[in-house]
Amino acid sequence: MKTLLNIFKWIILVFFLFVALYPLIWLLLASFKSSNLELQQNPFGFPDQWMFINYYNAMVKAKLPSLFFNSIIVALFAVTVNLIVASMTSFVISRENFKGKNIVFTIIIAGILLPIIAFMVPYFSIIQKFKIYDSLLALIVVYSAINIPISVFLLTSFMESIPVELEEAATIDGANFVQRFTKVIIPLSQTGLATAGTFCFIYAWNEFIMALLLTSSESSRTLQLGIRFFTSQFVTDYTAMYAAIVITIIPSIIIYFLFHNRIISGLTAGAVKG
Amino acid sequence: MKNKNIKMILIFLIPVTILYTFFFIYPLGFVLATSMTKWNGISAMEFVKLDNYIKLLTDETFLLSIKNNVIWALSGGFIQIPLATLVALILARKPRGWKTLRTIYFLPNIISAVAIAMMWKAIYNPMYGFLNAFLGLFGSEGHNWLGEINTALPAIIAQAVLYIGYFMIIILAATTTIPKSYYEAAEIDGCSTLQQEWYITLPMIRGILITTMTLAMAYGMRHFEATFLMTNGGPAHSTSVMGLILYHKMDAFRLGEANATGTILIFLGTVVIVFIRKLLTRSDAGSDSVQ
Repeated sequence: MKTLLNIFKWIILVFFLFVALYPLIWLLLASFKSSNLELQQNPFGFPDQWMFINYYNAMVKAKLPSLFFNSIIVALFAVTVNLIVASMTSFVISRENFKGKNIVFTIIIAGILLPIIAFMVPYFSIIQKFKIYDSLLALIVVYSAINIPISVFLLTSFMESIPVELEEAATIDGANFVQRFTKVIIPLSQTGLATAGTFCFIYAWNEFIMALLLTSSESSRTLQLGIRFFTSQFVTDYTAMYAAIVITIIPSIIIYFLFHNRIISGLTAGAVKG
Repeated sequence: MKNKNIKMILIFLIPVTILYTFFFIYPLGFVLATSMTKWNGISAMEFVKLDNYIKLLTDETFLLSIKNNVIWALSGGFIQIPLATLVALILARKPRGWKTLRTIYFLPNIISAVAIAMMWKAIYNPMYGFLNAFLGLFGSEGHNWLGEINTALPAIIAQAVLYIGYFMIIILAATTTIPKSYYEAAEIDGCSTLQQEWYITLPMIRGILITTMTLAMAYGMRHFEATFLMTNGGPAHSTSVMGLILYHKMDAFRLGEANATGTILIFLGTVVIVFIRKLLTRSDAGSDSVQ
């Protein structure tokens, strides 16, 4: 019974390991193959010849460098705006007492439950009214706003755990309200900021629908939109298309392996709180 | 109690108020209000009472989309969550390499929906895909997985449901709050591993299981991206979902109808969250009184 259970356990674990990794590995190997013909004749094995040229083709044909640049700009600025706004909010919610505090917090957090895709029309009309349609700024504003609820949730629970004594000591030393925020709470919240920032970065990097909706020209196209457009360019050349997809995945994987502990602890914080 | 910093507090809340009002409160009100209008975004809105809703609810494609969203929701709640729970319970006992496994299981969740969708499109490709090549090893005939009415919806759902990492990590975290002494006591009383999981772990993490089931089902109701990218609702609308209808209405400048779709989407999503939670919590209370 015990060994049977043990075997069953490892079958499950290996199966999900396979599900999580094998498609990526298959895509990676396919992206180095020489042609559609080789994909057909040699579907599983290593490429006969490692065709780095596929990556070159993907870079040039799909203009990946400029898409890459747009995505980086959007993600970094979205994270910055999001963290500034969310940390100011979380600071007053976690460190101050005022009437209506719980209501403010609840309303903001309730935003997590709203299906953002239902807001396609209003987002489009707001962005047009602000005259920022088809610009990176539109995406920066929208992405930083959409992530406010989750960031406030993560940062508030983090800031609540900072001991009051540190702030009191700073107040006695003459620190005012703003200094308590910038000199005490922000430096002590670096871990929380990194967690919230990572979530926001991954969201902004990966987001697709709003990018499709709020931009039209090539100059404000992000990487995710790019992949969709070059799938139509590459109908005859699957291997280069796979190479392009691999290139867009790489930054996410790097970020993940640098910050996976923060991401997991961020999710864990939510779970333990319920 | 009056806080002497109230002025500063209000100043600190200005940015969030602006962003939240523009991107959550106003859109919500806007969607609900304009769902009863005929509007193409250029000419003036025309109030049409419930016409948009009647049109939607008598449209077979829309009803099929609701049904598909319900299938998505049920697959999330009753396939994905049990699988995630199973893996979480195994990892909770810290088998060799559990931390690495946890990291790898979550990996697909940080890759964009577009890349994942394109990857699975490649896997399901009838000519060059992995799946048909794999089945070919057993002499099985291939399918055009995303192109056939019978296989398209299951194919899209399968790739989504098998990515258990997100919920697994939340459930795994909940298991760490259970005191070790419970298991030690059960061990002494001669409970097997399976009995320990059934009688200790599952009841102790009931709360988080309800939360994750609710979330998974709510995500199912708002599912959009993978379908949009993999089949765009086809073949013959068989994979259509509400979000897709909304997108296509918007694309055709039928904004009133798009927002009526949005309203139904928000409404059904809320129903799932509130109703399922109530239902599950109540049946919990029932099982408590039986014990």
